[in-house]
Amino acid sequence: MKCSLERKPSHSKDKWSLGMKCRGLTVALLKLVQIGNLVLLLLWHILHFIVSIFYFVLGIARVAESYFISSGFLKKYKSLNLGKLRCLAIVIESEEAYQTLQVIELLQWLGAIGVKSVCLYDKEGVMKKSKQAILGKLNNAVIFEESGENDKLVDHNHMMLEFASFSDGKEAVTKAANLLFMKYLKLNKLAGDQEGQIFTEPHMAEALKAIGCKGADPDLLLVYGPARCHLGFAVWRIRYTEIVHMGPLKSMRYGSLIKAIYKFTMVRQNYGK
Amino acid sequence: MFVSLQFRLPPTVTSTPPLKLLPPNAHVPSLSSMSVRHVRRLRLPRLSLRATPQLVVVEDDEERGANGRPHRDGASTEERNLLPPGLRRETMPVHVAVIMDGNRRWAQIRGLPASSGYEAGVRSLRSVVELCCKLGISVLTVFAFSTENWCRPKVEIEFLMDLFGRAVREDLESFLRENIRISVIGNTSKLPNSLQQLIANVEETTKKNFGLQLIVAVSYSGQYDIVQACQRIAMKVKDGVVALDDVNESLIERELETNCTQFPYPDLLIRTSGELRISNFLLWQLAYTELFFSKSLWPDFGEIEFLEALQDFQRRQRRYCGRSLN
Repeated sequence: MKCSLERKPSHSKDKWSLGMKCRGLTVALLKLVQIGNLVLLLLWHILHFIVSIFYFVLGIARVAESYFISSGFLKKYKSLNLGKLRCLAIVIESEEAYQTLQVIELLQWLGAIGVKSVCLYDKEGVMKKSKQAILGKLNNAVIFEESGENDKLVDHNHMMLEFASFSDGKEAVTKAANLLFMKYLKLNKLAGDQEGQIFTEPHMAEALKAIGCKGADPDLLLVYGPARCHLGFAVWRIRYTEIVHMGPLKSMRYGSLIKAIYKFTMVRQNYGK
Repeated sequence: MFVSLQFRLPPTVTSTPPLKLLPPNAHVPSLSSMSVRHVRRLRLPRLSLRATPQLVVVEDDEERGANGRPHRDGASTEERNLLPPGLRRETMPVHVAVIMDGNRRWAQIRGLPASSGYEAGVRSLRSVVELCCKLGISVLTVFAFSTENWCRPKVEIEFLMDLFGRAVREDLESFLRENIRISVIGNTSKLPNSLQQLIANVEETTKKNFGLQLIVAVSYSGQYDIVQACQRIAMKVKDGVVALDDVNESLIERELETNCTQFPYPDLLIRTSGELRISNFLLWQLAYTELFFSKSLWPDFGEIEFLEALQDFQRRQRRYCGRSLN
């Protein structure tokens, strides 16, 4: 008994020192983890910084390239072969389409480059409403409908402008379809089932022309706006259209415009063959 | 529990095999010349200042994705919840469309016959399908063969038809296992009878699968799609099911071939090989689809490229112009 009583104080002392050691270890581990956290956080921020610098430099390079293109320093952009570019479409987001002065400036650039046929599209028809204001500022532009169907009438001094909106897209196809329905019902009464002969792609194209959608399929479509989509541009007309996103209208650059057109002139299409 | 980090690290996947980081055709000999413009350039991963790596997020089985649309994939809940870094669940596209371009060029660069390019393309497709399942994408539509492609040499067309049949037969088991539903759109009347029958069987066999819906566009034309929708409506008008005055855009949309899916409008279109056009694919459906043009040729389009497309999609400001799509 005497021995067991003498053993108890040293046993509890051992336990206490073990506990202290464990606590010390835990504190050390926690400190290590905190340092690890800080190191990882620092590495993450460094990585972000490097990537940000990379994109900053890339942005500067793009601006510089655009400047050199505009100034004519880069020879390959000096003379553009516009033979392939029979019709150019410009899609602008409706909010940005209110910037009429910028739209006019863009058209003036296109005129200077030598583009002869431009289709201006915004979903809500903002540019359609500003038609007269836009034409008033351009010296040598005619409206597509007024020039007539035959684009050969447009001489080299004039640019043909077409204004389009959502009503010229899916709505137009629906109207053209209604035209075909009436033709089908009429023929059906006379000669039986004719849907195979009525509902064909050429007939739809004709029906679209009949309701006033006579514009050519654009060869190149430039999208100005935040979203990289064509915003409902005439669905029937963009089968083989090259689509390029140019960024917001407020950031438009002459050099970027030339570059986009130049790249288009270098494209070779197989048309699926 | 000691490792309580203040910011998030990419999760480590322990229960499922890691997503492969090699392109699907890495086993094919690489190019000898680096000057060829189709060589895939190594690019730095893009990091947004706001991007943070993903933690494992525990979600309910009935969780809904962007726009309230439910997830429909064959992957397990655990697999779905683990996203690669930089991707966010809430802005994952529900429907992705792909124009698989560049197979012949890929083969030509390597001095191989076009058939090798197409076979490599099938491997790429399998890889992308697998990724879609893991990422919880509901619909994947691929442009396999257009109406314009019928103008190609007869030998090439026969090979493609045979390849398509072979691929479907070989992968049917994995479609069933992965809960993938197969739908085929396009003017299939021009396909060989055996292939038409096979397609019908596969569609029937997989129609009750509730995972990824793989829509394969074969002998497809966007203009033809619109015209055949009008034809169907005309029949309904003739039969008195629909009044002529009731014909509108919504009615046409419902009759398009993409009515085989709950989500007919792609959120994202990817076209490979650097071409910047949609080539008569889903003309009606792509009005507000984000377009991503990748410079990689289709056989080289693998996980890295696909994730880059998804990250790019998620970064962009998506404006629907006041219209809801699905």
